[in-house]
Amino acid sequence: MKRIAFILFILITTNALGQDVFRAAGSPENPKVPVSWNHYNTHAGITDICRKLAAAYPDLVQLSSMGKSFQGRDMWVMTITDFKKGKPEEKPALYIDGNIHSNEIQGTEFALYTAWYLLESYNSIAFIKELLGDKVFYIVPTINPDARDNFMKEPNTPHSPRSGMIQVDNDRDGQLNEDYMDDLDKDGHITNMIRKSSKGRYKKDPADPRRLIPVKADEAGEYEILGSEGIDNDGDGRVNEDGTGYYDPNRDWGWKWQPNYIQNGAYKYPFSLPENRNIRDFVMAHPNIAGAQSFHNSGGMILRGPGAEEDAATYNAEDSRIYDAIGKKGETLIPGYKYMVVYRDLYTVWGGELDWFYGSRGVYTFSNELFNSYQYFHKTRDDDDFASGESYDFDKDLLFGDAVVNWHEFDHPQFGKIEIGGVKKNFTRANPGFLLESDAHRNMAFCVYHAWSTPKLEITEMSEKSLGGGLTEITVTVNNTRMMPTHASQDLKYKIERPDYITITGPKVIAGMIVENRDLNLTNEQKNNPATIEVDNIPGMSAVTVRWIVTGAGKYGIKVDSRKGGVVVKQK
Amino acid sequence: MKFLPILLLVVTQWATAQSYSDHARLSQRLKTLESSNSQSAKLTSLAKTAGGKDIWLLEIGSGDRSNRPAIAVLGGVEGSHLLGVELAVGFAEKLLASANTDSVKTLLANTTFYVLPNLSPDATEQYFAKVKYERSGNTTATDDDRDGRLNEDPFEDLNSDGQITWIRVEDQTGKWKVHPADPRIMVMANAEKGEQGKYNLVSEGNDNDKDNKFNEDGEGGVHFNKSLTFDPPYFTPGAGEHPVSEIENRAVLDYLYERFNVFAVVTFGPANNLSEPWKFDKSKNSGRIPGGVFENDAKQNKLASDIYKKAVTLKDAPTAGPQKGDVSQWAYFHYGRQSFSTPGWWAPKFEIPKDSASAKKYKANDDKNTDVDFIRWADKENVDVFMNWTKISHPDFPNMNAEIGGFKPFVKTNPPYSFVDKLATEHTKFLVTIASKRPQADLVNLKTESLDGGVTRITVTIQNKGLFPAVTEVAKNNNWIKLVKIALVTDQQIVGGKKITLLPNLEAGESKTISWLVKGKGKVTIEAGAPQTGFKTLNVSL
Repeated sequence: MKRIAFILFILITTNALGQDVFRAAGSPENPKVPVSWNHYNTHAGITDICRKLAAAYPDLVQLSSMGKSFQGRDMWVMTITDFKKGKPEEKPALYIDGNIHSNEIQGTEFALYTAWYLLESYNSIAFIKELLGDKVFYIVPTINPDARDNFMKEPNTPHSPRSGMIQVDNDRDGQLNEDYMDDLDKDGHITNMIRKSSKGRYKKDPADPRRLIPVKADEAGEYEILGSEGIDNDGDGRVNEDGTGYYDPNRDWGWKWQPNYIQNGAYKYPFSLPENRNIRDFVMAHPNIAGAQSFHNSGGMILRGPGAEEDAATYNAEDSRIYDAIGKKGETLIPGYKYMVVYRDLYTVWGGELDWFYGSRGVYTFSNELFNSYQYFHKTRDDDDFASGESYDFDKDLLFGDAVVNWHEFDHPQFGKIEIGGVKKNFTRANPGFLLESDAHRNMAFCVYHAWSTPKLEITEMSEKSLGGGLTEITVTVNNTRMMPTHASQDLKYKIERPDYITITGPKVIAGMIVENRDLNLTNEQKNNPATIEVDNIPGMSAVTVRWIVTGAGKYGIKVDSRKGGVVVKQK
Repeated sequence: MKFLPILLLVVTQWATAQSYSDHARLSQRLKTLESSNSQSAKLTSLAKTAGGKDIWLLEIGSGDRSNRPAIAVLGGVEGSHLLGVELAVGFAEKLLASANTDSVKTLLANTTFYVLPNLSPDATEQYFAKVKYERSGNTTATDDDRDGRLNEDPFEDLNSDGQITWIRVEDQTGKWKVHPADPRIMVMANAEKGEQGKYNLVSEGNDNDKDNKFNEDGEGGVHFNKSLTFDPPYFTPGAGEHPVSEIENRAVLDYLYERFNVFAVVTFGPANNLSEPWKFDKSKNSGRIPGGVFENDAKQNKLASDIYKKAVTLKDAPTAGPQKGDVSQWAYFHYGRQSFSTPGWWAPKFEIPKDSASAKKYKANDDKNTDVDFIRWADKENVDVFMNWTKISHPDFPNMNAEIGGFKPFVKTNPPYSFVDKLATEHTKFLVTIASKRPQADLVNLKTESLDGGVTRITVTIQNKGLFPAVTEVAKNNNWIKLVKIALVTDQQIVGGKKITLLPNLEAGESKTISWLVKGKGKVTIEAGAPQTGFKTLNVSL
């Protein structure tokens, strides 16, 4: 009777909360932690969401701090898995972070959405429940929290600060950050300065005068462009030449790093930035990370390395096949996104995050450049270029002018009478509010596919054969039923991660061996410590077979212990 | 007269040193230097290594040290190179011992030295340990053979003599044989010449993990001189999981990157570009990542090399190119400074005596084997470098003829301590001469002309009086090197000319003339320079 009452109570409560809603397919209609996915969050907002999720799902998520940022903010990491099914460090993991470039803000919300979706769907979608039983997600919503808050709270363009907050003398004059951009009209956005000029080669677009367009070669212009809002603060004849930062946190990683004169944005040496050091330490301490994803913006790209042509040989054919399979799946899941190789299809990047994950740790890693102009009117363009034309139309007709500052006059101390206006910092790169959730969902689904593709090990055979004289031959086969091997070929080449251990317990082991070819009975004996056979790799969609000669047959146990493939045990 | 007792104390301090210094002794010597020279020396610990040892920094200079052209002097970049530590601290001692001679006093007022005598203090301590072996790695635990097990196969001092030498085992499948000129020396048999091996040669110890490799994964660690950012040797023992992974590497780089006044780095380490300067080779810089010295910088290297060969009397230096991930290349290619490196000592060439009686003692060293030459030099000079091969029973080679012996650790790069004083004196001379050629910004030929209407034209020339440029060619686009700045500071109105001018460079001897038009009367100040050239200020009254 008591039990029925309890169930009744739950039904009623659910009904009370959810009585007015009807589930849309695939989405939690009545989440424990309601979050609206049409705005962005400061670091305080992120902290709040993370804490609420951790409180609501104690068996599925643990919240911890990876360490502090330069200015002392916590770098939150959510460990998401079914904690009642196995230890997290013994399951293959996908690492996800966002916002390495501080102005590329939606990566944070996409990462948060992923966490929220997995947690809120665990009870309603069997696939998600199984996934969290098998895998772990380490989700770090922002890895550049200081400058994220700067982007939101201080005047910026859509492209600034990008850097973190450590000061750098960019013009080499001995002064740090002495010539920032200046929010002349005090609207919180750095837009453009233009001036009427007989030498100008631009005019206001007659169809939308908020937009400046170049005039034809034989046409008289009306305006010249003076650049981003600002003044020459230090009197050196240049405007805004030494502002917030500047260095690029995505040029600070420990694989094929190059200094700033070769790779603009590099800081002092690999992991010279505290935020990246925190991530490095976390990744080194979690060798079960088999896949990684970082969220950037924009342009609709699913990027993989190498970042530099000189490093092309690092990504060999075997690993490229895995990358291609996941990347092409992504093109299907996220219409308008293209799977690309950084150096070949974008530009050269030395010392980028994805190259460190793969080159140094053997982890398959993608960077998605979130949001693209395709989402404006579903037109495909060759050159994304923030789609200046379409963006103004989109703003006018779908955002009703909220994303653009209209031209207005200003009296500039150096340029005289000018006009200020242009797109606000939250437009062209960041998803507009109503497009956030669907883009987040599709990118989340891409991450889920990546996580699902990490190794899944199963002991599929444990067989015995008597050899006479009290000797028994035990043969064990371990299958990997997913696409990813336990060791990427880069890993195998440099022995990045230790071999997988297959251990027999119970009988006395006389000899142990790897079965190279079962049909022809080719084996490779391991002389040292034969009870634990070390196999270099368990390939994807394939299997390895090992064999022992033992005395004292009877009950025995097998344990497969793989860093990236997890731990599996079976008794017989 | 006041300085005399201090001087004597310093002299006594190094005069009584009879051997290389361990960390405690080095720390003491540095502290003594600081306390005896409170005006011109400051000692700081930049960090403590994982092994709990200080990374000492001794700043030397009596002026505004961070705004005087500076030389960074680095020792102990290679942990088995005790001499490097000794030359760095020896330089500091000798320089400060003469701090009140006029020339040194002037030098210290206008120049700064950042002396970092030991960058591998965890490793150098092995020289003083119960079991000595040449160690390069710090105390960070590393899996040198990357098999998932830490330190499972270290050296063992099988004969308990306190040092790790070599084991040779007679084996017809072996790859080694004795050298025809001296049977103590082991060389690889050359199959192409029909030679057959007769020995296996392994380091002193057991194959603990039975993988047929000897002592491939012992204690420590990351090598300072292998783990910097230029062309790092990824995934090799000692390189670390990525460049600059260690406390001491980070501390040193963080410190030096913020010392914009450093124009040259002098490293006492394995590489030698002072006996033989780096040569410009266009093909090395054809890609987007420079791999060789730039043309203009090669000239400065040649200049420094000439100074070196005058100051340091050792001849016939063996070629010692830079190594992957080392300090000498980091200092040049990434730090962007003049980078000069020397091992500080090498055994002189051995010539078989001309007179036939003495010559008879020697068989011809036909292939000019350097080990043969080295042991002959040592025998002649009575330097103890070799342990004669002695029978030993070795568990991994049962029933085989095994012998223990070979060169003792440290002897090839660290001379007997009695050699050190002269070497330190000569290297001090070199460093002082380089410092005297430092880049120096000066303002000359100031001219003020009154124009009509209260306007004055001010003209001045900025000149580099030194023999080194303000900015190396490799660093012309490197953010970590400041540009030479000329600024006009005034409350008057500047009606012509730029308030601030940044020069892309100021080569050795180069000058540049700048003028302004100023309206009004009063005081005007011209400030010029960069941290690495020093600053010059002129006041003008209009």
